[in-house]
Amino acid sequence: MSCGKPHATPCTEILATMSAYVDGELGAEQFQVIAVHISECAPCESEEVLQRQVKALVVRAVGSSSAPATLRARIRATIYSSGTGN
Amino acid sequence: MSTEVDDAELAAIFETDAMAYVDQLYGAAMRMTRNPADAEDLVQETYTKAFAAFRSFEQGTNLRAWLFRILRNTYINAYRKAQREPLSTSADELSDPQLLEVDARSTGGTRSAETEALERLGDTEIIEAMQALPEDFRTAVYLADVEGFSYKEIAEIMETPVGTVMSRVHRGRKSLRSLLAQYARDHEDSGGAR
Repeated sequence: MSCGKPHATPCTEILATMSAYVDGELGAEQFQVIAVHISECAPCESEEVLQRQVKALVVRAVGSSSAPATLRARIRATIYSSGTGN
Repeated sequence: MSTEVDDAELAAIFETDAMAYVDQLYGAAMRMTRNPADAEDLVQETYTKAFAAFRSFEQGTNLRAWLFRILRNTYINAYRKAQREPLSTSADELSDPQLLEVDARSTGGTRSAETEALERLGDTEIIEAMQALPEDFRTAVYLADVEGFSYKEIAEIMETPVGTVMSRVHRGRKSLRSLLAQYARDHEDSGGAR
Protein backbone atom coordinates (compact mmCIF):
# COMPACT_ATOMS: atom_id res chain seq x y z
CA MET A 1 0.00 0.00 0.00
CA SER A 2 2.96 2.28 0.59
CA CYS A 3 5.79 3.30 -1.65
CA GLY A 4 8.15 2.63 1.26
CA LYS A 5 9.34 6.18 1.60
CA PRO A 6 8.60 8.10 4.77
CA HIS A 7 5.80 10.68 4.53
CA ALA A 8 4.68 13.46 6.83
CA THR A 9 1.25 11.78 6.88
CA PRO A 10 0.96 7.99 6.71
CA CYS A 11 -0.60 6.51 3.55
CA THR A 12 -3.40 4.92 5.57
CA GLU A 13 -4.59 8.36 6.68
CA ILE A 14 -4.38 9.68 3.13
CA LEU A 15 -6.33 6.74 1.74
CA ALA A 16 -9.02 7.11 4.39
CA THR A 17 -9.80 10.65 3.21
CA MET A 18 -9.33 10.04 -0.51
CA SER A 19 -13.05 10.05 -1.31
CA ALA A 20 -13.53 13.36 0.42
CA TYR A 21 -10.48 14.64 -1.43
CA VAL A 22 -11.76 13.75 -4.91
CA ASP A 23 -15.20 15.06 -3.98
CA GLY A 24 -13.72 18.44 -3.08
CA GLU A 25 -14.96 18.09 0.48
CA LEU A 26 -11.78 18.90 2.38
CA GLY A 27 -10.75 22.21 3.87
CA ALA A 28 -7.78 24.02 2.34
CA GLU A 29 -5.31 22.74 4.90
CA GLN A 30 -6.27 19.07 4.68
CA PHE A 31 -6.50 19.35 0.91
CA GLN A 32 -2.94 20.63 0.78
CA VAL A 33 -1.66 17.78 2.96
CA ILE A 34 -3.11 15.23 0.57
CA ALA A 35 -2.03 17.08 -2.56
CA VAL A 36 1.57 17.16 -1.34
CA HIS A 37 1.48 13.52 -0.28
CA ILE A 38 0.11 12.43 -3.65
CA SER A 39 2.82 14.31 -5.48
CA GLU A 40 5.42 12.28 -3.55
CA CYS A 41 3.73 8.88 -3.38
CA ALA A 42 2.97 6.90 -6.53
CA PRO A 43 0.63 4.31 -4.92
CA CYS A 44 -1.51 7.01 -3.35
CA GLU A 45 -1.55 8.89 -6.64
CA SER A 46 -2.81 5.75 -8.42
CA GLU A 47 -5.47 5.48 -5.77
CA GLU A 48 -6.60 9.01 -6.53
CA VAL A 49 -6.72 8.26 -10.27
CA LEU A 50 -8.81 5.13 -9.61
CA GLN A 51 -11.23 6.97 -7.35
CA ARG A 52 -11.79 9.59 -10.02
CA GLN A 53 -12.20 6.89 -12.61
CA VAL A 54 -14.86 5.05 -10.61
CA LYS A 55 -16.66 8.35 -10.04
CA ALA A 56 -16.58 9.09 -13.79
CA LEU A 57 -17.80 5.58 -14.63
CA VAL A 58 -20.80 5.99 -12.34
CA VAL A 59 -21.68 9.30 -13.95
CA ARG A 60 -21.30 7.81 -17.42
CA ALA A 61 -23.35 4.69 -16.67
CA VAL A 62 -26.10 6.17 -14.58
CA GLY A 63 -26.24 9.45 -16.44
CA SER A 64 -29.30 11.64 -16.34
CA SER A 65 -32.83 10.64 -17.19
CA SER A 66 -35.68 12.63 -18.61
CA ALA A 67 -39.07 12.16 -17.07
CA PRO A 68 -41.83 11.16 -19.50
CA ALA A 69 -43.64 14.25 -20.79
CA THR A 70 -46.90 13.05 -19.29
CA LEU A 71 -45.50 12.96 -15.75
CA ARG A 72 -45.46 16.74 -15.30
CA ALA A 73 -49.05 17.00 -16.43
CA ARG A 74 -50.00 14.18 -14.08
CA ILE A 75 -48.31 15.89 -11.13
CA ARG A 76 -49.95 19.22 -11.92
CA ALA A 77 -53.36 17.63 -12.26
CA THR A 78 -53.03 16.06 -8.81
CA ILE A 79 -51.50 18.84 -6.79
CA TYR A 80 -53.37 21.81 -8.12
CA SER A 81 -56.71 20.12 -7.69
CA SER A 82 -56.15 20.18 -3.93
CA GLY A 83 -55.08 23.20 -1.93
CA THR A 84 -51.77 23.59 -0.11
CA GLY A 85 -51.53 22.47 3.45
CA ASN A 86 -54.37 19.99 3.14
CA MET B 1 -43.45 38.20 10.95
CA SER B 2 -43.90 35.73 8.16
CA THR B 3 -44.98 37.16 4.87
CA GLU B 4 -48.43 35.94 4.04
CA VAL B 5 -48.48 34.26 0.69
CA ASP B 6 -51.81 33.19 -0.68
CA ASP B 7 -52.39 29.78 -2.22
CA ALA B 8 -52.15 31.06 -5.77
CA GLU B 9 -48.79 32.73 -5.14
CA LEU B 10 -47.48 29.68 -3.36
CA ALA B 11 -48.56 27.47 -6.24
CA ALA B 12 -46.80 29.82 -8.65
CA ILE B 13 -43.56 29.61 -6.64
CA PHE B 14 -43.89 25.84 -6.50
CA GLU B 15 -44.44 25.70 -10.23
CA THR B 16 -41.32 27.76 -11.00
CA ASP B 17 -38.97 26.40 -8.36
CA ALA B 18 -39.99 22.86 -7.48
CA MET B 19 -41.27 21.65 -10.82
CA ALA B 20 -37.82 22.36 -12.27
CA TYR B 21 -36.53 19.19 -10.59
CA VAL B 22 -38.92 16.64 -12.09
CA ASP B 23 -36.26 15.14 -14.37
CA GLN B 24 -33.69 14.83 -11.61
CA LEU B 25 -36.14 13.30 -9.17
CA TYR B 26 -37.37 10.91 -11.84
CA GLY B 27 -33.77 9.84 -12.53
CA ALA B 28 -33.23 9.13 -8.85
CA ALA B 29 -36.60 7.36 -8.62
CA MET B 30 -35.64 5.16 -11.56
CA ARG B 31 -32.45 4.14 -9.79
CA MET B 32 -34.42 3.32 -6.66
CA THR B 33 -37.41 1.48 -8.12
CA ARG B 34 -35.76 0.20 -11.32
CA ASN B 35 -39.07 0.45 -13.09
CA PRO B 36 -40.58 3.40 -15.01
CA ALA B 37 -44.14 3.00 -13.73
CA ASP B 38 -43.03 2.82 -10.08
CA ALA B 39 -40.62 5.71 -10.64
CA GLU B 40 -43.47 7.86 -11.97
CA ASP B 41 -45.67 6.96 -9.00
CA LEU B 42 -42.84 7.74 -6.60
CA VAL B 43 -42.16 11.15 -8.14
CA GLN B 44 -45.88 11.90 -8.23
CA GLU B 45 -46.24 11.05 -4.55
CA THR B 46 -43.13 13.06 -3.71
CA TYR B 47 -44.57 16.15 -5.40
CA THR B 48 -47.93 15.67 -3.75
CA LYS B 49 -46.27 15.58 -0.33
CA ALA B 50 -43.94 18.44 -1.18
CA PHE B 51 -46.81 20.63 -2.33
CA ALA B 52 -48.83 19.86 0.78
CA ALA B 53 -45.84 20.79 2.96
CA PHE B 54 -44.62 23.66 0.80
CA ARG B 55 -45.97 26.34 3.11
CA SER B 56 -43.66 25.08 5.83
CA PHE B 57 -40.66 24.98 3.51
CA GLU B 58 -38.38 27.87 4.34
CA GLN B 59 -37.99 29.77 1.08
CA GLY B 60 -34.39 30.41 0.18
CA THR B 61 -33.10 27.21 1.80
CA ASN B 62 -32.08 24.19 -0.21
CA LEU B 63 -35.17 23.18 -2.18
CA ARG B 64 -33.43 20.50 -4.24
CA ALA B 65 -32.11 18.73 -1.12
CA TRP B 66 -35.54 19.09 0.53
CA LEU B 67 -37.24 17.42 -2.45
CA PHE B 68 -34.69 14.61 -2.55
CA ARG B 69 -35.23 14.01 1.15
CA ILE B 70 -38.97 13.68 0.63
CA LEU B 71 -38.32 11.37 -2.32
CA ARG B 72 -36.05 9.11 -0.32
CA ASN B 73 -38.36 8.97 2.70
CA THR B 74 -41.32 8.20 0.49
CA TYR B 75 -39.37 5.45 -1.19
CA ILE B 76 -38.22 3.94 2.09
CA ASN B 77 -41.66 4.10 3.68
CA ALA B 78 -43.81 2.95 0.82
CA TYR B 79 -41.88 1.21 -1.88
CA ARG B 80 -39.07 -0.62 -0.24
CA LYS B 81 -41.44 -2.14 2.28
CA ALA B 82 -43.59 -3.48 -0.51
CA GLN B 83 -40.77 -5.04 -2.43
CA ARG B 84 -40.02 -8.69 -2.04
CA GLU B 85 -36.38 -7.81 -1.71
CA PRO B 86 -35.58 -8.12 1.98
CA LEU B 87 -34.30 -5.02 3.67
CA SER B 88 -30.59 -5.28 3.18
CA THR B 89 -28.43 -4.90 6.23
CA SER B 90 -27.78 -1.26 6.74
CA ALA B 91 -24.44 -0.52 5.16
CA ASP B 92 -23.14 1.00 8.35
CA GLU B 93 -23.53 -2.33 10.06
CA LEU B 94 -21.11 -4.05 7.74
CA SER B 95 -17.96 -4.61 9.67
CA ASP B 96 -14.82 -2.98 8.46
CA PRO B 97 -12.91 -6.27 8.17
CA GLN B 98 -15.42 -7.35 5.51
CA LEU B 99 -14.77 -4.24 3.52
CA LEU B 100 -11.06 -4.19 4.16
CA GLU B 101 -10.75 -7.72 2.92
CA VAL B 102 -12.50 -6.72 -0.26
CA ASP B 103 -10.20 -3.74 -0.56
CA ALA B 104 -7.06 -5.82 -0.16
CA ARG B 105 -8.24 -8.16 -2.87
CA SER B 106 -9.12 -5.43 -5.31
CA THR B 107 -5.77 -3.78 -4.90
CA GLY B 108 -3.88 -7.04 -5.24
CA GLY B 109 -2.93 -6.38 -8.84
CA THR B 110 -1.22 -3.28 -10.03
CA ARG B 111 -3.47 -0.28 -10.17
CA SER B 112 -2.83 0.48 -13.83
CA ALA B 113 -4.11 -3.02 -14.59
CA GLU B 114 -7.20 -2.20 -12.57
CA THR B 115 -7.64 1.03 -14.52
CA GLU B 116 -7.48 -0.85 -17.80
CA ALA B 117 -9.90 -3.47 -16.57
CA LEU B 118 -12.37 -0.79 -15.45
CA GLU B 119 -12.14 0.87 -18.86
CA ARG B 120 -13.43 -2.28 -20.50
CA LEU B 121 -16.59 -2.50 -18.41
CA GLY B 122 -19.90 -1.52 -19.94
CA ASP B 123 -22.57 0.70 -18.44
CA THR B 124 -24.82 -2.24 -17.62
CA GLU B 125 -22.13 -3.76 -15.43
CA ILE B 126 -21.59 -0.48 -13.61
CA ILE B 127 -25.33 -0.18 -12.99
CA GLU B 128 -25.50 -3.80 -11.86
CA ALA B 129 -22.66 -3.17 -9.41
CA MET B 130 -24.38 -0.04 -8.11
CA GLN B 131 -27.57 -2.02 -7.54
CA ALA B 132 -25.61 -4.63 -5.62
CA LEU B 133 -24.48 -2.08 -3.05
CA PRO B 134 -26.38 -1.72 0.22
CA GLU B 135 -28.98 1.04 -0.16
CA ASP B 136 -27.20 3.48 2.16
CA PHE B 137 -23.96 3.20 0.20
CA ARG B 138 -25.65 3.33 -3.18
CA THR B 139 -27.65 6.42 -2.29
CA ALA B 140 -24.64 8.28 -0.88
CA VAL B 141 -22.52 7.50 -3.96
CA TYR B 142 -25.38 8.32 -6.32
CA LEU B 143 -26.13 11.66 -4.68
CA ALA B 144 -22.45 12.64 -4.64
CA ASP B 145 -21.43 11.47 -8.09
CA VAL B 146 -24.50 11.74 -10.27
CA GLU B 147 -26.42 14.54 -8.58
CA GLY B 148 -23.33 16.43 -7.44
CA PHE B 149 -24.64 17.07 -3.94
CA SER B 150 -22.15 18.12 -1.25
CA TYR B 151 -21.72 15.86 1.77
CA LYS B 152 -23.59 18.45 3.82
CA GLU B 153 -26.58 18.26 1.47
CA ILE B 154 -26.44 14.46 1.43
CA ALA B 155 -26.43 14.53 5.22
CA GLU B 156 -29.63 16.58 5.06
CA ILE B 157 -31.25 14.23 2.55
CA MET B 158 -30.26 11.04 4.37
CA GLU B 159 -30.84 12.62 7.78
CA THR B 160 -27.49 11.51 9.10
CA PRO B 161 -24.28 13.27 10.25
CA VAL B 162 -21.77 14.47 7.64
CA GLY B 163 -19.17 12.04 9.02
CA THR B 164 -21.50 9.15 8.26
CA VAL B 165 -22.00 10.43 4.71
CA MET B 166 -18.24 10.59 4.23
CA SER B 167 -17.91 7.03 5.44
CA ARG B 168 -20.78 5.80 3.23
CA VAL B 169 -19.37 7.43 0.11
CA HIS B 170 -15.91 6.10 0.87
CA ARG B 171 -16.98 2.57 1.65
CA GLY B 172 -19.53 2.59 -1.16
CA ARG B 173 -16.90 3.43 -3.75
CA LYS B 174 -14.59 0.85 -2.27
CA SER B 175 -17.22 -1.88 -2.52
CA LEU B 176 -18.13 -0.72 -6.00
CA ARG B 177 -14.53 -1.03 -7.07
CA SER B 178 -14.16 -4.52 -5.75
CA LEU B 179 -17.38 -5.59 -7.48
CA LEU B 180 -16.19 -4.06 -10.74
CA ALA B 181 -12.80 -5.72 -10.38
CA GLN B 182 -14.64 -9.00 -9.93
CA TYR B 183 -16.76 -8.41 -13.06
CA ALA B 184 -13.59 -7.59 -14.98
CA ARG B 185 -11.99 -10.85 -13.83
CA ASP B 186 -15.10 -12.79 -14.81
CA HIS B 187 -14.78 -11.24 -18.27
CA GLU B 188 -11.26 -12.54 -18.64
CA ASP B 189 -12.20 -15.97 -17.36
CA SER B 190 -14.95 -16.22 -19.93
CA GLY B 191 -12.48 -15.54 -22.71
CA GLY B 192 -13.03 -11.81 -22.98
CA ALA B 193 -10.39 -9.47 -24.32
CA ARG B 194 -7.17 -9.44 -22.43
